[in-house]
Amino acid sequence: MAARTMLLQATWNYERQQGIGWAWALEPALRKLYPDPRLRAERLAEHTAYFNTQPTLASLALGAVAALEERRAAGEGPDAEAIARVKGVLGSSLAALGDRLFWFTLRPVAACLGVWLALEGRWQGALVMWLCYNLLHLGVRLTGVRWGYRAGPAVLSGPVRARFERLTRVLAVLGACLIGGILAWLVAPSGTWPSMTFEAALGAGLGIGLLGALRARPTPTEWALGLGAMCLLVAWFR
Amino acid sequence: MSTPLVWTWLLGGIAALDATPVAQTLLSQPLVTATLLGWVWGDLSMALEVGVVLQLLAASTLPVGARTPEDYAVGGVVGVGLALALASQQPFEQARDASALLGVLAGMVAATAATPVLKWQRRRNEGLARWTEAELREGRTAALGSAQVAAVLFAFGAGVAVTALATGAGLRFLHGPVSDGSIRLSRAWELAHPLWLGLGLAHLLHSFLQRRLTRAALFAASLILAWLVRLSQVL
Repeated sequence: MAARTMLLQATWNYERQQGIGWAWALEPALRKLYPDPRLRAERLAEHTAYFNTQPTLASLALGAVAALEERRAAGEGPDAEAIARVKGVLGSSLAALGDRLFWFTLRPVAACLGVWLALEGRWQGALVMWLCYNLLHLGVRLTGVRWGYRAGPAVLSGPVRARFERLTRVLAVLGACLIGGILAWLVAPSGTWPSMTFEAALGAGLGIGLLGALRARPTPTEWALGLGAMCLLVAWFR
Repeated sequence: MSTPLVWTWLLGGIAALDATPVAQTLLSQPLVTATLLGWVWGDLSMALEVGVVLQLLAASTLPVGARTPEDYAVGGVVGVGLALALASQQPFEQARDASALLGVLAGMVAATAATPVLKWQRRRNEGLARWTEAELREGRTAALGSAQVAAVLFAFGAGVAVTALATGAGLRFLHGPVSDGSIRLSRAWELAHPLWLGLGLAHLLHSFLQRRLTRAALFAASLILAWLVRLSQVL
């Protein structure tokens, strides 16, 4: 099941989002729990319904739901509706936690580390970035199913949530420090003083970026395209 | 058709897979694909120069709410691949800068233009999901695996196709400007490069600080400390 979580988003779509990938990842557990192929297909069809969460932490929900399905197969536990409710609650809680940790913090921090090395012309930047992200991402993804299975629906109990939130805060502070380091390095690259144009343009980019970040639109790409067009015009008519 | 170009297209497909359908390991991020393309084309410094700009923009592009963000997996491969292909045709310093500028711009345009393709793919997947459920209701559990394989192949094919189309069009229409207007384009790169770096870093800084004074103070302290370290190395 842990290996199958890698394809959780293979059939991502607007209607059921991760629904099909979820059912496919859960299939090994259901195969073991429901030897009758008819019943198994029925249960799998139930699991193709809408589901969405942050993909890394989805393995925790998968393990927890596998534990519930085990109780249901033994005739002691929840019905389809209760399992759907648990899926919904876990999905949204894990998404809130995982989006902040993985998408909004760890990915940019890893990118900053990689960029800092790459600015010095080192190929190791890409490797460091990849390792920094995947130590946590693949670690949680591959062990999460077991973790969720043992803890059940209470997998996001107080201490676990607090630990993830603390990690997010620490990474955000690290990210801010890394940006400071990169900017200092850019202002004096390779032991020689940069040109005034470089410093002024870097400062202007920072200012525009900080102001632009206060609003969702224009997006960073739209800003960058606009600035690129402006530079072309300036260079053409100077 | 050159071998590095074919590798570039294939990498476009692999990046499209890693971005959403398979594993999401950041293999699709512009810095990683740029490093790989730098080795393939034998010009790592150029690849990193373009890759860093696209990486900063990719890192500050977040999937907020229901919005489908720009596709920097394919955009990164197109931008770096095109810059390397253009630079390999005219290896003069100014032509290299011109290629870098056009590569970054093409990467951003490709990332934006690939979004509708991504949305179209996801709508096609809706049909696949409905078919899978119907098959499961009939008792055919193998449909799940078939749907997954079909979606993965579809995403790979779309990634290769968009990359090939964008790099092909870029080489066709940008070769002329690089050879005829390299001096002006090189001047534009001198201005645009730091502007883009500043813009990307500012967006990341904003997302890290979240208006907290302690974090802002730590940012300022690290900026001064790193600058002093650098200064001591220069002196």
